[in-house]
Amino acid sequence: MAQQTQVFVPQPDRPPPPDTSGPLAWIRRNLFRDIPNTLMTFVGAYIIFTVVTAIVNWALIDAVWQAETRRECLDAVGRAGACWPGVAAWFENLIYGLYPKDQVWRINLGFLALVVWMVPLWLPKVASKIAIGLSAVMLYPFLASYFFLGGEKGIIWTALIAAGLAGLIWVWATALTEMRTGKPVGTWLVARLGQADTDEILQRRIKQGAALALFAMAFLMVTQISFEEVRTRFWGGLFLTLVISGIGITFSLPAGILLALGRRSKMPVISTLCTLFIELFRSVPLITILFMFNTMLPLFMPAGTEVNQLVRAIVAVCLFAAAYMAEVIRGGLQAIPSGQYEAAKSLGMNYWQTTSQVVLPQALKIMIPTIVGNFIGLFKDTTLVSIIGLFDLMNMARAVGEDTDWLGLFIEPFFVVTLIYFVFCFAMSSYSINLEKKLAAGRDRT
Amino acid sequence: MTVLPDATPSPEGRRGRISRALNDARIRSVLIQVLTLLAVFAAAIWIVNNTVANLNARNMSAGFDFLDVSAGFGIGFTLIPYQEGDSYLRVFAVGIMNTLLVAVVAIVLATIFGVFVGLARLSNNWIIGAVARSYVEVIRNTPLLLQIIAWYFGVFNLLPRPRDSIELANGFVLNNRGFYLPAPVAEAGFSLFAAVVLGAIVFAIGLYVWAQRRLERTGQAFPAILTGVAIVVFVPLLAYVVLGRPVSWDMPVLQGFNFTGGLSVPPSFCALIVALSAYTSCFIAEIIRSGIQSVSKGQLEAAGALNLPSNWTLRRVVMPQAMRVIIPPLISQYLNVTKNSSLAIAIGFPDLVSVWMNTSLNQSGRAIPIVAMTMAFYCAVSLSVSAVMNVYNKRVQLQER
Repeated sequence: MAQQTQVFVPQPDRPPPPDTSGPLAWIRRNLFRDIPNTLMTFVGAYIIFTVVTAIVNWALIDAVWQAETRRECLDAVGRAGACWPGVAAWFENLIYGLYPKDQVWRINLGFLALVVWMVPLWLPKVASKIAIGLSAVMLYPFLASYFFLGGEKGIIWTALIAAGLAGLIWVWATALTEMRTGKPVGTWLVARLGQADTDEILQRRIKQGAALALFAMAFLMVTQISFEEVRTRFWGGLFLTLVISGIGITFSLPAGILLALGRRSKMPVISTLCTLFIELFRSVPLITILFMFNTMLPLFMPAGTEVNQLVRAIVAVCLFAAAYMAEVIRGGLQAIPSGQYEAAKSLGMNYWQTTSQVVLPQALKIMIPTIVGNFIGLFKDTTLVSIIGLFDLMNMARAVGEDTDWLGLFIEPFFVVTLIYFVFCFAMSSYSINLEKKLAAGRDRT
Repeated sequence: MTVLPDATPSPEGRRGRISRALNDARIRSVLIQVLTLLAVFAAAIWIVNNTVANLNARNMSAGFDFLDVSAGFGIGFTLIPYQEGDSYLRVFAVGIMNTLLVAVVAIVLATIFGVFVGLARLSNNWIIGAVARSYVEVIRNTPLLLQIIAWYFGVFNLLPRPRDSIELANGFVLNNRGFYLPAPVAEAGFSLFAAVVLGAIVFAIGLYVWAQRRLERTGQAFPAILTGVAIVVFVPLLAYVVLGRPVSWDMPVLQGFNFTGGLSVPPSFCALIVALSAYTSCFIAEIIRSGIQSVSKGQLEAAGALNLPSNWTLRRVVMPQAMRVIIPPLISQYLNVTKNSSLAIAIGFPDLVSVWMNTSLNQSGRAIPIVAMTMAFYCAVSLSVSAVMNVYNKRVQLQER
């Protein structure tokens, strides 16, 4: 039986699809997919072109760089170009307010101290990051407030400043030993003295002695320096904005955690009080709270007490921020499944152990983007203190246009100040997105 | 050490009982709460005492009796009639109306613009997405107060004088005194016309409800939205022609140095509205975007598998699910607009905080009642909105089985 074999003949290859990768394909897919898409590309390009050329022309090409008064600028280019000399003349005020010029280095040194304090947090080998972060929150404010405020210091005030200085020295000592040997500075010292194998009590004694010696040294150093007093009414500009928002941020997180825990508490009195506080402060605008504290705090205090206006503003901002933070934290707490509580209970943990070691770390972690968002909001909201008469960054910018030399110069300082706010807020939000991705790396398995 | 047998139980036992009581969760909780209450009461009494002493020392009073007294100052822009001799209570009402006006106008504009920007961010065109994204990032990362003041001092105050006004359209005029627009004036037959308009709107809503019910009952669709829009547009137009122009327009005209006639709003109002709606539209855009992105891809694929037309996929599959995510934060943005409208004080627009907490407080010196009334107003708004929200959330919550 003859069998005719049929040879399999494949169909001819179909032509490859038009390129689906590479820059050309990307352009085709994202800019010229179809006719409406192409039209939109042209509209978008036109918008970008108009805005960018308008800004570049105004801010760079047509701008005036040398002038004594605004009149000269107007005579030269009119309103077509920016008048930068006005901003340059006021730039120091925009940053430091009316702080005495010969004392400005104290502000720089104060913020430099914060940067130095925080640097170990980004060094990979440093292990005790939580302790360093906590010390920055608890001790740095004393150091900074003396740098900024200066003036007479009693014995308690000196001790607090010394604690701040000692904290800074400890942070770097421990960061250095941990990078070198992987041990915190106390353990390192014990090992250096050849006591690593002795009993714990002796070791603890050595550590305590070293801490005391450090504190005594810092105390002596602090008594040697004295800064002249700079009253808070000379504070202003970006410096004041950073001080108010820094205090607000530092205060609002712990206070918000306590309020949120209080609101979820099973004790009716505590939860009612916390709920009342949170709801009251959240339902009214910040400006009414600022006004309230501005007019009523002097009434609430015993007769004759002078409450500094900056303090009034800071109290208002702190309470307001705490109420908002409390709701964010509560959202995080609610997201923790009850199995976590039950597991902690079955291990015999009590309320505070459960909260601080099981619940809060998870709750804070998932709420990081919202918490940072809140910090950004707080930073922006500090502009409101200008309404009760403090000269923060924004109010300083407004004051430029009221200077007789630069009368009516509003747009240029506002432009610069907008850039400053944008850089700060955008940096914060980008950092939080970055942090979120890093933390989510172990969680999402997609 | 040897442990002594428990021979004399009285002191040891009592201490033991106390420590056991302190370790009892219930007793401890009662104790903590009583102590907290005492502390709060003590603080309250201390504050009240100080306040009374301070008020007496400054010859101030905390009563509400000043509300009937004539305020004696003028207000630049009022929605309801107000004269200098009117009472403080009237000032309060004027402030509330102005605040609500700002809030409503800004909410409407911010929603329209926010939806637009939010959809632009989702566009499959890269440039449009980038433009929308930069707009959102720039506006969102700068303080609102700065934007309000910049719009006021940098734009609306620098507009030309009335003589060289910018005429946007016939009857819509912009100059450094404000924004002027035609005012509707009721003519003969206006009430009949209004009744017809109202009737058309009610009928269109009724039609929509009926169409929804029928769709759920029988599955047959009826183009209710299209028909409704047609009714609301054409019926009043017809009535307008038939009734012989029941509404005429009062145009603003230049007389001497300023415009008269028509409606007008001051530059501070324009700056406030532009800044508030631009700022809020960014947040609304982000809400819209995340709401639409929250609808899972499987839903779209399922709709595709059922071969639903694409506008049905959007209207019947994506939007209902996105709305559940969008509405709660959207409402809280609306509340924020109402609260943020209080920044009007920075540019001198007479809203509640400006005329009441600032001018009236300085004039009358009644700090406590004035602060209390202002806070009560904002609390009332926010509590009533959250009550409505709770009802809505209950309704749209997923019915889990």
